[in-house]
Amino acid sequence: MKLRKAASFAIALTVVTGLLAGCSKGNSANSAVKEDKGNEGTQTQQASKDVKLTFFNTSAEVNTVFEELFKKYHEQNPQVTIELIPTPIGGAQLEKFQSLLASGNPATIVNLDAGTILQYKDDFLDLEPEKAKYEALTNPGAIDGALLDGQFLGIPWTAQGYGLLYNKRAVEEGIDGAFDPASVKTRDDLEAVFKKIEAAGKAPVMLHGADWSLGAHYLGLTYSLQSQKVEDNRKFVEELKNGQVNLTENPQFTGLMDTFDLLKKYNARKSDPLVADYNRDSADFAKGAAAFYFMGDWSWAVIGTLEGRDADFGILPLPVSNNPEDFGNTQVAYSEPKLFAIDDSKSTPEQQEAAKAFIEWMVSSEDGQKAIISDMGLSMPYKDLKAKSTNIMSNAVSEYVKQGKIINIGVINYLPQDYWAKTGAAMQKYLVGNIDRQGLAQEVQDYWKSYAGK
Amino acid sequence: MNKKLSLKNAGTFLVFGGPSIFAFAAVVIIPFIVGLYLTFTNWDVRTGDSSLIGFTNYLEVFRDKVFLQQLWFTLKYVFFTVVIANVFAFFIALTLTRGGRGEQWLRTGFFTPNLVGGIVLGYLWQTLFSQVLPYLGAKYGWELFQTSWLTNTGTAFWALIIATAWQLVGYLMIIYIAGFTGVPNDVLEAANIDGAGRTSVIRRIILPLTVPAIVICIFISLSRSFLTYDINLALTKGGPFNSTELATYHIVQKAFLSNQYGVGQAEAVVLFAVVAIIALTQSYLLKKLEVES
Repeated sequence: MKLRKAASFAIALTVVTGLLAGCSKGNSANSAVKEDKGNEGTQTQQASKDVKLTFFNTSAEVNTVFEELFKKYHEQNPQVTIELIPTPIGGAQLEKFQSLLASGNPATIVNLDAGTILQYKDDFLDLEPEKAKYEALTNPGAIDGALLDGQFLGIPWTAQGYGLLYNKRAVEEGIDGAFDPASVKTRDDLEAVFKKIEAAGKAPVMLHGADWSLGAHYLGLTYSLQSQKVEDNRKFVEELKNGQVNLTENPQFTGLMDTFDLLKKYNARKSDPLVADYNRDSADFAKGAAAFYFMGDWSWAVIGTLEGRDADFGILPLPVSNNPEDFGNTQVAYSEPKLFAIDDSKSTPEQQEAAKAFIEWMVSSEDGQKAIISDMGLSMPYKDLKAKSTNIMSNAVSEYVKQGKIINIGVINYLPQDYWAKTGAAMQKYLVGNIDRQGLAQEVQDYWKSYAGK
Repeated sequence: MNKKLSLKNAGTFLVFGGPSIFAFAAVVIIPFIVGLYLTFTNWDVRTGDSSLIGFTNYLEVFRDKVFLQQLWFTLKYVFFTVVIANVFAFFIALTLTRGGRGEQWLRTGFFTPNLVGGIVLGYLWQTLFSQVLPYLGAKYGWELFQTSWLTNTGTAFWALIIATAWQLVGYLMIIYIAGFTGVPNDVLEAANIDGAGRTSVIRRIILPLTVPAIVICIFISLSRSFLTYDINLALTKGGPFNSTELATYHIVQKAFLSNQYGVGQAEAVVLFAVVAIIALTQSYLLKKLEVES
C-alpha cells in the first residue's frame, strides 16, 4: 500500500518536473545567448563548431531555390546548417515574423521588405563594417538605395521593376504591325493601341485585382511620382497625414486615376475584376489572352517555366498624362525591394558571423548568383555577374535602369505596414464601382489622417 | 485513515490529472492571464515597450467603428452558420439512423470534411467558387455562377457560411447520432403502436429527448464559428475590400498588420466576453427544455 502510494507520487513528480524542465530549458538557452553577447570581444570564431541558422523568407515563390542553396552551402561548409522558415505567397508573412520575434525565437537571417526592416531596426545587426565591401560588389547607387534612414541594415540582393508588361505577339497581332514601345508616350497613345487591340477581338490589358497590386504598386505610385527625390516624397506623405493634401487636386493622383479608368475600361477581367488569381492572370497574359499586364518582372517566376507561352515580352512605363515630358511617362518603377538582414536580438555572435559569410556567398558566388538569376529569374544589382538572366522582362527593366529612366519608389520603405491592405481595399471598391473618384480620394486621405503624428 | 485516503486520492489525481492540468494551464490559463494583462499596457513588439496605460485600449475598441461593424457581421455569420449546420446535421443524422444500406460509409463521408484542416478546406472551396463554378456557370449559362462568389460582398458572406457549415456538419452529425441512439426503443415502439406519424414522432419524442445533444451541438457550433479564422483567411482573405472580415480576422490584422497589439488584444477579450455570454446563455436556456424519458 505504502509502496504504491510512494510510487504514484514519484511518477507524478517526475512527470510534472519533466514538463517544467522542458519549458525552462528554452529560457536557459536564451539567457546563455545573452551572456555570450556580453563577452563578444573575447569570442573567437570556431570553425569546427556546428552552427545552425534559420532563414525567414518572404519571397515565398522561390522557397525551393533557397532550400537548394542551403543544401549546397551545407555541402561546402558542413559545420553550417540552414533551415528555411517558409511563408505563403501573399499570405500572413508579417504576422509570422512578428510572432517569431515576440516569442523570443527570431530567425537568424531574414529576407524582408526594406520597410519592415526599418520598423524593427533595433532588432537587426548594423552592417556598417560590411558596407565598403558591398559597395565594391554592387552597382553604383545600389547600397545608397538600400540605406534606411542612413543606416546599412540590410544587404540588397534583388532589383525589381514594374510597369505595363506587354506580350509582343499579342500586341503585334492586335495592331497588325510591328510594335515599338517608344511609340507610347502618353495616355492617348496607349488608348489608341488598346482600341486597335480590342477591335482585333483581343483583350487589351490584364489588371490584377489583388490589394497589394492595386494598393502598393498602382496607388503607391502617387507618392513616388511627386518628385524624383525620396525625401520630397516622404514630405508629401507627411502632408497627407496632416490633412494638407487634397488628392483630387493633385495632378499625379488624378493622372494615375485617369489611366486607371482606361485600364479598367479595357480590362480582360472586366466582368469579374476582383478574382485576382495571380497564377491564372500571369498565365493568360503569357499565352496572349491579354496584350498588356500591369505587373512587374517578378512574374517571370510564373511565366518563365510555363508551357505553351509566348516568347517575347517587354515593359512600358505606365503613362500618367498626355504630356510626354511629364515625370513617369518614360520611367519604370524600380526598387531593391528585399533585403537580407541579420538578427541582433537573440542570435549568438557565431551565428551572426556564419550568417554574414553565408549571405556574402549567396550574392557573390557562382552558385548563389546562378540560383538567384537563373532559377529565381530575378535581376541582381551586382557587378560582374557570373550568370546570364533568362528573364526577358528584367532585362527590359535593366535597359531603363542603364538610361537612368527610373522612378525611385524608395518612399514606400517609410510607409506604415498596412498601407497596401487598407488603401488597396479602397482601390478595389473603386475598381468595381462601389465608390467614385471623390470617395476613393476621401478613403485614402482618411487612412493617412489616421496616422497623423505617428 | 481518512487523511491517508485523501492523500492517496490526491496522489492518484496528480498522476492522471496532473499532466493535463499542467498542459491546460500552460496553453490556456496562463496565456489568457498574460493576455488580459497586456490589454492594460501599450505593448509593442518593435520597441519591447510595455507600460501600464489603464483602460485606454478598451476605450479604443469602442471607438474602432470597423471592429464593431465586424462584430455585427460576425454575429450574423454565426447565426446562419449555427442554424444551417445544425439543421443539416440533425436531418442527416436522422436519415442515417434508420438502418438503411451503406450508412456507415455515408457517415464517414459526411464526417471527413472535419478532418481536413481549415486552411486546406478554405483553398479547396476557393478554387470551387472562383474557378470551377464560374467555369460551369459560363458553360451552361447559369446566371448565379457567372462571376466568382468571392468577389461580391453578399455572395462571399454565403460562401463563408457554406464552407464553415460544410466542415461542421459531420462533427455535429456524430453527436446527433449518439443522441438518437439514446432514445429508448420502447418509447418509439409505443408511439408506433399508437399510430403516430413520422413528423409527430420527431416533434414530440425525438426532439425533446435529444435536447442534451442539441445543447452540446449548438454550443460547439457557436464557439467554433465565432472563432473561425482559418477558413476566413484561406477563402476570402477578408475580401472583397475587407467586407468579409470576421472579428478574429480583424483582430489579427489590427495587431500584426497595423501594429496595434494592445488594442487587438483588448478586442480579443471583448470577443471572448461576447462568445462566453452567448454560449452560456443558450446552454442555460436550452437545458431547461430537457426531459426524462
